[in-house]
Amino acid sequence: MDQTMELGFALKNAWLILALPFFSFLIVGLFIRPLSKRAAGIVATLAIFLTACFAYRLAYEYFFTLPGALEGIHKAFVPWSVEWLRYQENMVVSLGILTDPISVMLMVVVTTVSSLVHLYSTGYLHGEDGYGRYFTYLNLFTFSMLGLVTAPNIVQMFVCWELVGASSFLLIGYYYDRPSAVAAAKKAFIVTRFADLGFLIGMLILGFFGFQFFGELPASVTQGLQPFDFMFLTHPEVGAKFLAQGGSFLGISLVTLSMILIYMGAAGKSAMFPLHIWLPDAMEGPTPVSALIHAATMVVAGVYLVARMFPVFAVSGDALLVVAYVGAFTCLFAALIGCTQDDIKRVLAFSTLSQLGYMMFALGVSSFENPLGYTASMFHLFTHAFFKALLFLGAGSVIHAVHSNSIWDMGGLRKKMPVTHVTFLIATLAISGIFPLSGFFSKDEILSAALESGHTNIFVVGLVVAGMTAFYMSRVYFVTFWGKHRTEGAHHAHESPPVMLIPLIILAVFSIFSGFIPFAHFVSLPSPHGGEGAAHGGIDLAVALPSTAVALLGIGLAAFFYSGDTSRIEALSKSLGVIYTTIKNKFYIDEVYLFVTHKIIFRFIAAPIAWFDRNVVDGGVNLSAWGTRKAGSGLSRTQTGQVQTYGSWFVSGVLGILLVLWILSFERH
Amino acid sequence: MGENLVSFLEKTPDVSHWLVLSSLLFSIGLYGLLTRRNAVGILMSVELLLNSGALNFILFNRFISPGNIDGQVMSIFVIAIAAAEVVVGMAIFVALFQQRKTVDVTQMNMMKG
Amino acid sequence: MIENIVHTTLFYLFAAFAVLCALAMVSTHRILRAALYLMGVLGASAAFYVLLGAEFLAGVQILVYVGGIVILLVFAVMLTSSNNLIEEKPSLLRKLVALILSASFFGISSGIFLGATFNVSSRLSGASSEKIQDTTAAIGRALLDQGEKGYVLPFEIISLLLLSALIGGIVIARKTQPEGGK
Repeated sequence: MDQTMELGFALKNAWLILALPFFSFLIVGLFIRPLSKRAAGIVATLAIFLTACFAYRLAYEYFFTLPGALEGIHKAFVPWSVEWLRYQENMVVSLGILTDPISVMLMVVVTTVSSLVHLYSTGYLHGEDGYGRYFTYLNLFTFSMLGLVTAPNIVQMFVCWELVGASSFLLIGYYYDRPSAVAAAKKAFIVTRFADLGFLIGMLILGFFGFQFFGELPASVTQGLQPFDFMFLTHPEVGAKFLAQGGSFLGISLVTLSMILIYMGAAGKSAMFPLHIWLPDAMEGPTPVSALIHAATMVVAGVYLVARMFPVFAVSGDALLVVAYVGAFTCLFAALIGCTQDDIKRVLAFSTLSQLGYMMFALGVSSFENPLGYTASMFHLFTHAFFKALLFLGAGSVIHAVHSNSIWDMGGLRKKMPVTHVTFLIATLAISGIFPLSGFFSKDEILSAALESGHTNIFVVGLVVAGMTAFYMSRVYFVTFWGKHRTEGAHHAHESPPVMLIPLIILAVFSIFSGFIPFAHFVSLPSPHGGEGAAHGGIDLAVALPSTAVALLGIGLAAFFYSGDTSRIEALSKSLGVIYTTIKNKFYIDEVYLFVTHKIIFRFIAAPIAWFDRNVVDGGVNLSAWGTRKAGSGLSRTQTGQVQTYGSWFVSGVLGILLVLWILSFERH
Repeated sequence: MGENLVSFLEKTPDVSHWLVLSSLLFSIGLYGLLTRRNAVGILMSVELLLNSGALNFILFNRFISPGNIDGQVMSIFVIAIAAAEVVVGMAIFVALFQQRKTVDVTQMNMMKG
Repeated sequence: MIENIVHTTLFYLFAAFAVLCALAMVSTHRILRAALYLMGVLGASAAFYVLLGAEFLAGVQILVYVGGIVILLVFAVMLTSSNNLIEEKPSLLRKLVALILSASFFGISSGIFLGATFNVSSRLSGASSEKIQDTTAAIGRALLDQGEKGYVLPFEIISLLLLSALIGGIVIARKTQPEGGK
């Protein structure tokens, strides 16, 4: 970046975006929480609102005041960084802030959703015991997520990646007295940790070659960069060199291998099939947490990682194909399950999986020749964050009122909770892709990207899933808000307090209007040869019409089956029999995992290792402890308690030293 | 014989004589330190050790740099510290005696392992 | 030369006296006599100081050591003795070990001293006018001198030490209540 350029306040002080939530986390967690729960909530919320304001200011400066910004040229640069680890010359890792279109966009998304969720939580968790703890964790999460999106190098990203995993673990296990929540927290942590193993190995392969190439490439490429920096790793010359010199392993080129391993980490975090099993269980956490972490922000970290490393993925075309097909499969698979679930949060969880599948395959189908998918994916990430957070917060509002998660315990809430009803409807229409709500634009762009890139099969999947999305979301909507009150809880439900409704309204506004942002103007794939790739925005009628038709069909079907009498759907599900049961049980994937882990891994690998540990390792430890104890009791006999005996030993020691010095002085003469 | 004695006595003791004297006193003090059973007796032996140390300061002052006064000043400090030590030691023994009715150090073996 | 003869004779006399007193002090079982013998050693030391030209120190030695410390020790003996001021005999093994250790200390240290050559000042044998004549005034100046070679800081620290020893002695020796409260 031009050194002489004048940076605005926010860009110059970009570190504040990390410092604000971090210090708020420390102060709230260490000092305020023990004193007053109420104050902890207020301070944490205010800090995140401040961060959000700062992020807006930063986004304004980045997108509108930098030279060339108004022409749609947004360069990546690092406004602030400090050296963190210096291994050797040319091997330095720094902590810093990277600003490029996607990171700035995500800063806005994260801070917006996070601040609204903070505000909502002050009402949702009112009067709970862990109130202060909850806000401490939430602040920690916000800090980690911002550290992740602003990471200028892959090491910082990995560290923050683990931090979001840890804070997600803490928040899923928030109700730690419930065994199911504890199990879900462990499951989420272990599954994502397992995936992160892939990320770590991929990162090491990448880092190894990155470091090797760093010395070989001309200074024009490495200027001001370090081998782990994204700006270096995604440089086209590095990618070309990697492809040419990376070699191969078991018939797979190393660039593909490392990218697939990194994608494994991304798939774990973004809950792609077959690592998706943790996300539905993660709904055991408080609903605002699900809205923030498991819908709007953390789960898109995987998508973000793929987008961040996109040039390297593009170099290895195979890795990108994997991304596309895994994404498309997850998209369809999760939508199918979503149609059958009864727990409102689980439906939303599977819907999140499905939407993440959209984002992933949009990235997978794009390329430097055909960069629309990249923009579309980021656009969908952006809009999805708002309407999915809105859906979760609306679901939270309903759960808060009815005290049950099952949609069959609700019903007829349309009159009792008007604001929740309207905002939920807006979000449902947005996710279904109805014009002119935001989901329409982003989904349309994804579908046309799939079509244009020539992946017709993926396009068809996307189109079908669009209809299914509309169907299952409308199903939830109709069952929850229409019909008659099915339980006492639904009968006595009343509207949530304003502090919970305000975030709903704000998010609804975002869900309606964020589609009109000319997104391609801000976020598009930087072409390898400088300048901007041509990404067209706008509406492609050939895609928009069928997708809207499919969505309307889905809504219509849902209305037909669920808006009033539900006997029709019961008959239908009976007639489907085994297929319905299989889908409802999530294709028994959890059972397969249980079988593999319990019956195979535990019995044949873990049990022998445990035996070895208990007998050999512990035996060794016990032996050394026994030896120490014996030696100690032997030596303790020398402690007679007789001060003159000690004195005698002391004097003999002094005499010994004196003697040695005396003898040495002879030798010197 | 008489002449021998006179010539022996005419030669004033030099530094090594003094040092041997002081180390003899020190050794005797050390013996007392290690054998005395009464704590006050141990304290007396310590006084003997300190005294021979002070003597060393003065004799080195006298023989090595008679133009200075530093050794004598050090001796004053040694005497002052000895006084402080005796005060505290005596206070401890008195307190100990109130508790245990004896100051025999061989009976103080609570630290026995 | 008669001065030298007197000097040497006094040295050996006092040395013999001091050593005998010291030996008696460590071997007697009557603790009050031990204090008396200590007084003898310290008094002989005062004579040594005079022989070494430190007249002021000799005065301090008599005043503080003989007059103060030994009296304090006698008090300590009085306050802490239970059985007729007679000490029980130490065990033979302990005596043997102590004898070996102190004898070998004496052997080693006198071996070192006799074998070493000291950088004895030449002025000692020459005109005695170069020696400091008025040691009392010199010590007084040195103790209160704030300059580079002065001792005012150690002097103040020692005075603080004495004060704290005073207070500490009172606090420790104050009659303690038996355990279990008043």
